Amino acid sequence: MATVPLTAAHKEDFVVLLVPVEDTDTIAQVAQKIAAHTVGIRVKPRNKPLQVMHNGRMVPDHLTVAEAGIRPMDYVEVSYVE
Amino acid sequence: MPKLERSAYYDLTRDMNWRFKYVRAEEVFPQEMVHNPEVPYEEWWKWDEPYKVTYREYVYNQSEKDHGVYSVKAAIARSKLFDALDNGWKAALTAHYGAIALPEYLASIGESRMARFGLGASWRNMATYGCLDETRHGQIQVYFPYGLLDKHPQFDWAHKAFHTNEWGAIAARSMFDRMFTANDALSTAIQLTFTFETGFTNLQFLGMAADAMDVGDVEFGALISSIQTDESRHAQIGEPTLRILLKNGKKKEAQRLVETMWWRAWHIFALLTGLSMDYYTPLEHRSMSFKEFMEEWVLRQFLDMFRDLGMDPPWYWDIMRDEMNWYQHGLHLGVWFWRPTVWWNPDGGVSEAEREWLEEKYPGWNDTFGRYWDVITENIRNGQTEKTLPQTLPLVCNMCHIPIVTLSDPKQKHNAPYVSEYNGRRYLFCSEPCKWIFDVEPEKYAGYLSIVDRFLAGHIQPPTLENVLAYMGLTPDIWGRDADNYAWAFQKKVDQAAVGN
Repeated sequence: MATVPLTAAHKEDFVVLLVPVEDTDTIAQVAQKIAAHTVGIRVKPRNKPLQVMHNGRMVPDHLTVAEAGIRPMDYVEVSYVE
Repeated sequence: MPKLERSAYYDLTRDMNWRFKYVRAEEVFPQEMVHNPEVPYEEWWKWDEPYKVTYREYVYNQSEKDHGVYSVKAAIARSKLFDALDNGWKAALTAHYGAIALPEYLASIGESRMARFGLGASWRNMATYGCLDETRHGQIQVYFPYGLLDKHPQFDWAHKAFHTNEWGAIAARSMFDRMFTANDALSTAIQLTFTFETGFTNLQFLGMAADAMDVGDVEFGALISSIQTDESRHAQIGEPTLRILLKNGKKKEAQRLVETMWWRAWHIFALLTGLSMDYYTPLEHRSMSFKEFMEEWVLRQFLDMFRDLGMDPPWYWDIMRDEMNWYQHGLHLGVWFWRPTVWWNPDGGVSEAEREWLEEKYPGWNDTFGRYWDVITENIRNGQTEKTLPQTLPLVCNMCHIPIVTLSDPKQKHNAPYVSEYNGRRYLFCSEPCKWIFDVEPEKYAGYLSIVDRFLAGHIQPPTLENVLAYMGLTPDIWGRDADNYAWAFQKKVDQAAVGN
């Protein structure tokens, strides 16, 4: 297990953050870790699931960070599924 | 003995140009000290400053100024005026002293380099006065906050800030080092005195002095007015230097020097002046918004001068004009949310009446930045202020060293940082122009480590937020707090009107 620092943002937030995750974390867990710094903090909570975009594509929830090919300091963006 | 008219002897006192016999001009003026893009050496002898001053006049004027300002200082020190000042204004004051006092001293290094390596005697002469000016500005802007130490220990950061790794000090230092402390004489003339001083601060000081008097800060008003009159003298060094470059077909070099510095100056200016004009200055004393100030005082003047000189506006002019609608709002929210990482107490500046002003000056503010403040205000009202404090670091731009804030207008979303790869390392930027400045001369900036790079490289151990604050030199008595202890979150507009009378 290795820590992977990510540059991350919630689509509706105003700032890019440094969010460390584990390479074994699922994408769903990554979404939660980013949401912990944004939703209910600056972004209004909404009753909708979250999704994660990396390199311009939405990444399936069940994949791990390693399986999704996300590298240290890559940019990932969380947003609500509209 | 009849006294000569100044014009009769003025050139005698400053035109010390001569043709070297025993050394070559390139040895007297080495390229690393003054990047002369092959303009014939004697062309620089035509350097002529519009606003002339002799040493006798200089000493007389400066002593008059100092006499006036220091007596105001002595009188105010005995009064309760400072205590009656608005907390938002005190935030602007504390931030200003920390960000500006020591760089003024450092600017005297840049001026003295021009005083020695300026390629025309009149340029060297004017830079000698500039060096004396900047020494004065450093001294007086350390001395005044020194007199306020009993008010708050944060005023100690007027002297301390530039000796720390606080992120704002890193951002200002990295720009000023490039602009004058470690710059060659010609580039300093274009990037400090023309781009930064003529472009921004010469006018900023005018606006600040007026605001200071308006809010009742007589001391700071007297200080800034006296500085501004010096600024306009040595800021003039840039224009004659630029004219000679242009006359000798060096427009491309001149344009690059201006463009690689104007953008960085804009970001630091938005951080320092944007916050104080749009959020810290008390509502009833706001004469205009930051955007209005930029358009009326900075942009128009600079574009006129650019056209007069035959220069083109920087390629990113439209990007800057767009940023003027939102960038300072992002920086303010960032500074307020990460407030423990600054040496002043940021004023939220978002009570109901203030939000109304923001909406009027920046239509759509409530739908973009207002939404964040809604969530923050609700957390404060629910007694959950811990939710309004950071749990991680923001990403910091590898060029301007300011946190990467993004437009919050969903339609024009661009959250992802701009990226450059160089020698196997990845660099992240907040904007296209910051990325462009890096790409123009990567070797100049490649070695810089942002605060986040240092955190990731293990320079801060153990890697906790508490340790990041210690690494930045910030102690608990200095950590920024909300200037009015969140009063704005409970302030109804009616109360605000009562407070205003």
